[in-house]
Amino acid sequence: MTINLPEGFEDLAPFAAKWARATEYERVAERRRSTPEQLRAFYDALLNRLPDILKRVDAYPLGKVEGADRHLFHMALSLAEIAPHIEFYKADPNVPFSFDEERLKGHHCGVPD
Amino acid sequence: MPKVPFLAQHPELGNAPIPVEPYLSEDYYAKEIDKIFRRDWLFVGREEDIPDAGDFKVKRLDFAHTSVILVRGKDKKIRAFHNVCRHRGNKVITETGGEETFGNKRAAVLACRFHGWVYDAEGKLINVPMEDKFPTCFDRAKNGLVPIHVDTWAGFVCINLAKKPTKTLREFLGGVVDHFEGYPFDQMTHVHTYYAHINCNWKTGIDAFCEAYHVPTIHAGSFPGLADYWLDDFATYGDHRSLAIYTVDMNPPTPVASKANELFAASIALKRDEPFPLPKAINPNRHEKWGFEQTVVFPNFLVHVGQGLWFTHQFWPVAQNKCLWEGRYFLKAPTANSQHWAQRYAVTLQRNAWLEDTATMEDTQEALLSGAVSYLNLQDEEVMLRHAFNAVNNRVAAE
Repeated sequence: MTINLPEGFEDLAPFAAKWARATEYERVAERRRSTPEQLRAFYDALLNRLPDILKRVDAYPLGKVEGADRHLFHMALSLAEIAPHIEFYKADPNVPFSFDEERLKGHHCGVPD
Repeated sequence: MPKVPFLAQHPELGNAPIPVEPYLSEDYYAKEIDKIFRRDWLFVGREEDIPDAGDFKVKRLDFAHTSVILVRGKDKKIRAFHNVCRHRGNKVITETGGEETFGNKRAAVLACRFHGWVYDAEGKLINVPMEDKFPTCFDRAKNGLVPIHVDTWAGFVCINLAKKPTKTLREFLGGVVDHFEGYPFDQMTHVHTYYAHINCNWKTGIDAFCEAYHVPTIHAGSFPGLADYWLDDFATYGDHRSLAIYTVDMNPPTPVASKANELFAASIALKRDEPFPLPKAINPNRHEKWGFEQTVVFPNFLVHVGQGLWFTHQFWPVAQNKCLWEGRYFLKAPTANSQHWAQRYAVTLQRNAWLEDTATMEDTQEALLSGAVSYLNLQDEEVMLRHAFNAVNNRVAAE
């Protein structure tokens, strides 16, 4: 399946298939099967465009980001998912010294991703 | 810094090592269920879970082999019932497979799929198909849903499984009511929920969240900035207890964390504004380094309040060596997608911290089963654990 991104975000296209994931469960799974290098490359690329992405998604009502912008939003959520691994856990794809993440259930809150 | 060590303030708590038996014994577990969980008020939700007439939530309570229907009636009152049909015992509301099932019936009636028996939100049996084929001794009025005592406080919904609770909810809470008086729980009702089944005693779970001794080690990953802390404001309210954590510093202001915090300050590890005044009893000296509280409402409900955020943990007993952990993080609802993003960053970091906290629990249960050690050593800062041991043990030993 092709993940189309809005015009002007072609630089993020190499990361879209892996990181434009609609649910936390999928984003956690992608993170855990990444190499440290993949995490670093994605972090650097997304961080660079984060302000642009957040500005675009704020044009939509809460929870109603649509189309190609929704893929961007999911990639930003993937950044939120992996940021602690770059900023704190030295690029470890897992949370160091943690309970088995496979067994953690949830997450839900009132706003769809 | 507390001027006098906690245990010196509370000599009645003792200072000897505590036994391991309460964490391992099936007999002790059975007594806890019978004398505590089937008699005390239990926190099972928030009013916001079921805001409108016809809304219901079904919560599994494995220790009591039941699931509880919490339903809001047309009169806006919340009532609670065992999820058991009076016909042949089917679950009136089929659960979705999770620990909690949510739904709404516009007419505020609950219908059992098996044979179409219908109850209203007050529990009355209002329709029985082929009622005339039941014997004349069958009386619909005597076959309503079996009610469970329910009450609310500060937006929390509580139940009591006893036929006749010995205390009202307010009497049970005692000093906890004043402690939280004025804390605006209802301004922060947007909840992020996680849960897991953990193979450890429910008390091991509670212990883990009632001290900060573990912060420099367990949270070296997620909260490196919080390693320098002190504790104060220890208070006991009968079986309930409270303690506050003051942190000298915060996490380093890393790029994504800072961006998220700027959009919506939702992390306990980063500096935030103070959107509301705290109750008098919470951060009583208005110290700028106050972080958050650890309060336990007996037996198993942890409420951690902070500035602009609060979170809860519950450890439900399932067996002497199994429990269900539920972690919930409460924030003011986001108003923009960028704020939703920011909240998800903060909640992800907190989730990771909870994964760090839960990491030692099963190992502890397994290791204690060896029988190699018979007591646990607690330091002064682990006063909440000592109070917990005493509170549970006194109830188990009593009639």
